[in-house]
Amino acid sequence: MCKINDRSRNIGQYIPAPDDDMIICRCEEVTKGEIRRAVHAGLYTITEIRRYLRAGMGLCQGQTCAKLVKGIVAKELGVSPAELEPAGSRAPMRPIEMEVFGNERAQGR
Amino acid sequence: MEMRIKEHPILGVQEKEKEVTFFFDGQEIKGYEGEPIAAALKAAGFMVHRYTKKEHKPRGIFCAIGRCTDCVMVVDGKPNVRTCVTPLKEGMQIQTQDGVTALKQMK
Amino acid sequence: MKRYDLIIVGAGPSGLSAAVEAAKRGIQVVVFDENEKPGGQLFKQIHKFFGSKEHKAKIRGFRIGEDLLKEASECGVEVVLNATVIGLYLEKEVTVRIGDAVEHYKGDAIIVASGASENMVTFDGWTLPGVIGAGAAQTMMNLHGVKPGRKILMLGSGNVGLVVSFQLLQCGCDVVALVDAAPHIGGYGVHAAKVARTGVPFYLSHTIVKAEGEDRVTGVRIAEVDDKFQFIPGTEKHFEVDTICLAVGLSPMSQLLKMAGCKMEDNPKKGGQVPICDEMGRTSVEGVFVAGDVSGIEEASSAMIEGRIAGITAAEYLGYMDSIESGQRVKGHEEALEGLRQGMFAPKNRGKKIETTDEGIQISENLLKRGYIADDEIGRYPGIRQAAGVHPVMECTQNIPCNPCQDACPKGCISIGENITSLPIAVEGAECVGCGMCVASCSGQAIFLVDEQAGDGYASVTMPYEFLPLPEVGARGKGLGRDGRPVCEAEVLKVQTAKAFDQTHLLTVKVPVYMAMKARFFVAD
Repeated sequence: MCKINDRSRNIGQYIPAPDDDMIICRCEEVTKGEIRRAVHAGLYTITEIRRYLRAGMGLCQGQTCAKLVKGIVAKELGVSPAELEPAGSRAPMRPIEMEVFGNERAQGR
Repeated sequence: MEMRIKEHPILGVQEKEKEVTFFFDGQEIKGYEGEPIAAALKAAGFMVHRYTKKEHKPRGIFCAIGRCTDCVMVVDGKPNVRTCVTPLKEGMQIQTQDGVTALKQMK
Repeated sequence: MKRYDLIIVGAGPSGLSAAVEAAKRGIQVVVFDENEKPGGQLFKQIHKFFGSKEHKAKIRGFRIGEDLLKEASECGVEVVLNATVIGLYLEKEVTVRIGDAVEHYKGDAIIVASGASENMVTFDGWTLPGVIGAGAAQTMMNLHGVKPGRKILMLGSGNVGLVVSFQLLQCGCDVVALVDAAPHIGGYGVHAAKVARTGVPFYLSHTIVKAEGEDRVTGVRIAEVDDKFQFIPGTEKHFEVDTICLAVGLSPMSQLLKMAGCKMEDNPKKGGQVPICDEMGRTSVEGVFVAGDVSGIEEASSAMIEGRIAGITAAEYLGYMDSIESGQRVKGHEEALEGLRQGMFAPKNRGKKIETTDEGIQISENLLKRGYIADDEIGRYPGIRQAAGVHPVMECTQNIPCNPCQDACPKGCISIGENITSLPIAVEGAECVGCGMCVASCSGQAIFLVDEQAGDGYASVTMPYEFLPLPEVGARGKGLGRDGRPVCEAEVLKVQTAKAFDQTHLLTVKVPVYMAMKARFFVAD
């Protein structure tokens, strides 16, 4: 297992910060404090944070906040952002209505 | 409309499509056909496109290229339309979005 | 499902360049782009590009875009617009949203040229309407002809922040300050200097404390930060603005490649998550190639060359040419790319503070901190020379890959030499005829023609001018120093406009003799 994700590692206590109210994920309105608390609750990967808080799961699909969330989680874990595995990538890459997503045209144009 | 650039030192006089009328929360506004809805609103001085669902905070243009989805509004009854990449048409009904529906207007 | 030899994602500078190279070899190629218009960010670039002739230097970005589109259409490249690639699967299957449906395509080879997205920073009030990305500002003013705001504060002193600040000034906005948390300006000194000389103050080691306003931005507070980026109490400054522009870097938009199973790495020198690829653009997945910002943040000029290389490499992969031919064809492009990756701002130097030029001259500390070279620093650079009669003064003080000035002078007054990043030298003995081609050709707007004895007791300074209204001959006003402060009375002696100058007008102003080496901008009274 990746060392960063070792849950037995002591990352210290969650300490409230003055900017905990700052919105990070603009679409789902997730704050910095929520992300920090989630890390201390044991959610160490970006994928987990996305599922737990919906940060990066809104209309823009993390286009704006992905790097910001990564930075916050990394800092909380005491590692560099580059060491963190980014969230998984999957279709659709852009917001799309369900009726369009379900309307597959097999033959091409 | 002073937000419009009449003549640009490099690009010259920018050609626009024909002038059209559209409605922003019921108010009649002029814009140019084919330009993004967001550009027409900006030129008319409107900046608030929506209020967020949880905290009811105002949002407007942020990335202007269809990535951030902050500028979404209710367009002809359809919510979550990215106004920065949606071309303006004659008679369009544009409404401030509140959460995922149109903002109720105070009478 | 429809099959193509080659599918390209993104019709920006790299994607179109790749498509051209592939189509030239008879490859059936389609380019998908989610935007309404092709060209990516090129059509928002209204400044003249750097580099040498082979990099299309001194041509404005949007004109390079027009040429590229023309080339693509002549080669028969099929570009599908309003077509959003939403997935890239095993066996190079691509799903594309077109209109109200999702369509499936299969490419024997894929080139992903999806570009980059803007980074953002958070501060109190950053979600308010009026806080926008620098890209948004460029889009509004240069594509749609609408001013992004009236009074604007720019955060970020990289090339994007500097170039967009200048463009905001050009379209008539008031830029109240240029702010960066870093202690030194990140972009080219020449870009900073052309902003600073108009009077825009630079605040390095400063960042935004708060965007003020209820339902839109009405003001902004900034403060100085220490070397740990913590606010220093008592250093707050307030500006009344309606717009705050963020230009804090770009990240590769590489999600499609990750989805396709390409090996990825997080590389800060390349701007974030990028596919691991070789210099030909080959990723770890056979038949999937990359070009442009998606494989590492650089400039549009390098993206176009990377696109050409990826297009040739894909053609070889598809069997349209052998490795000998592709090697030959790629060689020239590789050399051109290598040329662009030289100098102080080369990708390998990202994040480094460089104190001296290759020539061993100290970089101006004022330039790095305030955006302009101080009067007592300018004399140490080889482009500055006192001479009788009219002569060019090249205020180019950093090693950047750019040399149009050398070719521009018909009299050989300017020399850069073999190494494209060398500082321009004022050649002794060569006689300047005052044609002004160098002034108009300098993408950094860093060349001036100076004549200390233009007339009885006065000097003349010829400067590049890209603003409206264009002052008329006889107009009186102030000469501004490099720091943007008024230094003297000035009068317009001559205004030159020519097709060869490409919208850069030459303004010759009359200033006192002792101001010949100080006055660098003009504002009419």
